[in-house]
Amino acid sequence: MTHGADNPLEHPEVQLANGRSYLLVYLFSCALLGAATWLVTRQAMTPIGLFLLTTALAGVVVVAQGVFLLHMEFSETQRWHTVSLVLFIPLFILTIGLSAWMFHGLYRRTMLMPEMPAPAAAAPAAAGMPSMPAMPGMQR
Amino acid sequence: MLVNLQGPWSPLLGRLAVSQIPYENPILVGTFVLVVALGMAILGAVTYYGKWGYLWREWLTTVDHKKIGIMYILVGLVMLLRGFVDAAMIRSQQAMAVGPDSAGYLGALHGYLTPFHFGQIYTAHGVIMILFAATPILVGIMNIIVPLQVGARDMAYPYLNAVGLWLTTAGAALVMTALFIGDFAHAGWFGNLPLNELPYSPGVGVDYWIWAFQLSSVGTTLGGINLIATIVKMRAPGMTWMRLPMFTWASLSANIISLTSFPVLTVSLALLSLDRYLGTHFYTAGMGGNLMLYNDLFWIWGHPEVYFVILPAFGMLSEIIPVFSEKTLFGYTGMVLASFGIAGVSWGVWLHHFFTMGSAPDVNAFYSVSTMLVGIPTGVKVFNWLFTMYRGRLRFELPMIWACAALFFLLVGGMTGMMNAFTTNDYMVHNSVFVVAHFHLMLLLIVYAIFGAVNFWFPKVFGFKLNERWGKWFFWLFTAGTATVFIPMFTLGFMGMTRRLDYIPYAQWQPLLDAEMAGIVLYSLSAVYLVAQLYVSLRDRALNRVGADAWGTSRSLEWATPSPVPFYNFAYIPHVNARDEWAWRKENGIAQLRHDRYEGIHMPKNTGVPLVLGALSLVLAFALVWRMWWLAALCLAGIVILVIMRSFAKDTDYIVSPEEVKRVEDALWAGTHARGTEAEGGRGRGAVGGGLSPAHSPSAPK
Ligand code: HEM
Ligand SMILES: [Cu+2]
Repeated sequence: MTHGADNPLEHPEVQLANGRSYLLVYLFSCALLGAATWLVTRQAMTPIGLFLLTTALAGVVVVAQGVFLLHMEFSETQRWHTVSLVLFIPLFILTIGLSAWMFHGLYRRTMLMPEMPAPAAAAPAAAGMPSMPAMPGMQR
Repeated sequence: MLVNLQGPWSPLLGRLAVSQIPYENPILVGTFVLVVALGMAILGAVTYYGKWGYLWREWLTTVDHKKIGIMYILVGLVMLLRGFVDAAMIRSQQAMAVGPDSAGYLGALHGYLTPFHFGQIYTAHGVIMILFAATPILVGIMNIIVPLQVGARDMAYPYLNAVGLWLTTAGAALVMTALFIGDFAHAGWFGNLPLNELPYSPGVGVDYWIWAFQLSSVGTTLGGINLIATIVKMRAPGMTWMRLPMFTWASLSANIISLTSFPVLTVSLALLSLDRYLGTHFYTAGMGGNLMLYNDLFWIWGHPEVYFVILPAFGMLSEIIPVFSEKTLFGYTGMVLASFGIAGVSWGVWLHHFFTMGSAPDVNAFYSVSTMLVGIPTGVKVFNWLFTMYRGRLRFELPMIWACAALFFLLVGGMTGMMNAFTTNDYMVHNSVFVVAHFHLMLLLIVYAIFGAVNFWFPKVFGFKLNERWGKWFFWLFTAGTATVFIPMFTLGFMGMTRRLDYIPYAQWQPLLDAEMAGIVLYSLSAVYLVAQLYVSLRDRALNRVGADAWGTSRSLEWATPSPVPFYNFAYIPHVNARDEWAWRKENGIAQLRHDRYEGIHMPKNTGVPLVLGALSLVLAFALVWRMWWLAALCLAGIVILVIMRSFAKDTDYIVSPEEVKRVEDALWAGTHARGTEAEGGRGRGAVGGGLSPAHSPSAPK
């Protein structure tokens, strides 16, 4: 049950709120994500370059939002924000990691992905599998 | 518009047009008339008896966790009925449309349902049963019982609790709307991609499916946050972690996996919405899309979800079995670890839902092993229940027979799950009705646990027991129905029958399909006995009143409250001395102690905001389905404004005066004494109002 008798504005969580930093981080994230979208739609680089760059931009945004919006910090009262994030990391690794592993195997056997860098495309042959001939309609 | 819509669109009505109302379909028209008649009857009765004020004050605006729980369960029961009718239609179609010579009616080539309708029915059946029947009923029971078991007066966030309820209800209402305006998805409850993409499913059915899913997912996530916060933060003094009742542990583990997995569902459906509304290519078959990404994301949620529904059911069994074995639960610590073991494993097995996709053998092997690992903690639980019963004084009252039958289904469902977990075997049975039978037995385990729990805790909430004789008839007919439907289904699965067939080409399968049909008849018959049980129990409630300790051998803290529980739960926040606190108090002769004076109790005020938020969300979802952008924008703005306004509301709580508490407690105690002695320390019964005691809380202005 909430203890409405205390003034909610005095809660440490509420005290942390700061309109200006929220707005700044919002605009900053919009700018970086917008830039990433623009680069991708323009196909400004090689696929692998785009992949790395968008990942890096997303990483910066995540960190900025984590610090300024989600208040990841180590002070006595706010540590739980960081702790809950850390508790999510294993899950994150589990889901993303296992998915990546699964798709890696899947692409090699079922869908030839045009964007895959050369080593992956060469891998089936290395693994002793015949490489698939090009089929009509397949994207190269 | 960024995508190519088939059919007309207008700025005012979006895709909505009169032709979208299926008035030429006799089944739907009949259903519509029935629903309208029923609705009118209910509304008329409420008006006639002048109950609108009562309904508004005591139910629609309530933030009382018990009443919210009851409403969750009612929503779940209504949807259970709807899902059951869908099931009956699936079964009757499959019994009729066998072999090339089978007759066709109502425009269908075989049977009476066209493939288009049949697809919608099985999709709706799955979505409804999992998201709008099982989940709300379980959440409802957790809502009622968890605060009582941890010794709290309400949930951590009573207002949020009501928001969750009304969002879930909005989701259910959206599914029902799809019945009469437009159509529903036809690509299965989990959505087959790319079939669900706009070019292949151009209607609004998939959009209904998406937004109903999203509403319920938000509702359940909010509920999960609330239950976790309640268990972590609201425990009474002395309620240490290792004294927590097992159902509370089970709820905690279940809600941790729901909180971590539901966001993935939200994302997987949001990406599909982007494809359908903005023309992106996340899941398309070409243009860089990846349709297996959908399966991956969906089942990252989907498998934890099935454990989200089963863990509370395990918790219910852990509460029922000790009470009717008259012993403590065997292996408490092991039970706790097993719950979290199951929850943990559930994060790493999802690929077993698409073994046949063609991933590398080592990937399949990994998931095969991880899937089988779940057998270890589950086995621990089964043996703990068996050892609890071993040399106990077993009493086979209603909750116990449901619990024992649930154990049996756990065995059959779990073993067939293990069979599916062998990749080699799964290549044979995947997408066959064998898998369908597997997960139905698993879900039936949950249904049995729920019926056990309802019989078990009903007296706590309403103050009287459910009728035993009619209840046993219901149990046996229901069980006969289960056996008659699912044994043939396993058989047909091995014979190669794939799931979701609207026409069955092999006439030699007819006898087994007829048997399944007979099972559905038994199920329908059992429903009559359920209604009779409820009716007789309600009629004879004066004869079946119970005290605090309804079963005489109850153990955990919720049994220390009077039956029915007063709106503030505990006149004094209890001090907990032991695991199985109520049993400890009985043993130490302090179960009957009564306070001689009371203090004011701080309680949350009622508010209509959650109801309005739910209604706005329903209209928002409806507008998104039909692409009425102006309406969607309006509702969204309304929601945002309302949430902001509510966060500035100051008048959200009040103090129940000590005199008021004394009055309620006196009435509860007088009830006990007027009836003479109560079995083993029963403390009070409901002299206050019928069923739940009224909340006496003035409504907050907003
Ligand atoms: C002993 C534990 C379990 C094991 C080893 C297990 C294993 C499996 C496997 C391997 C499949 C995939 C079969 C296929 O599609 O080819 C499956 C499907 C399924 N299981 Fe289980 N399962 C277990 C428990 C549960 C529980 C507790 C539930 C739900 C309460 C459940 C619900 C489902 C559902 C809903 C599906 C299929 C969904 C669909 O394809 O539509 N299972 N199970
Ligand atoms: Cu699964």
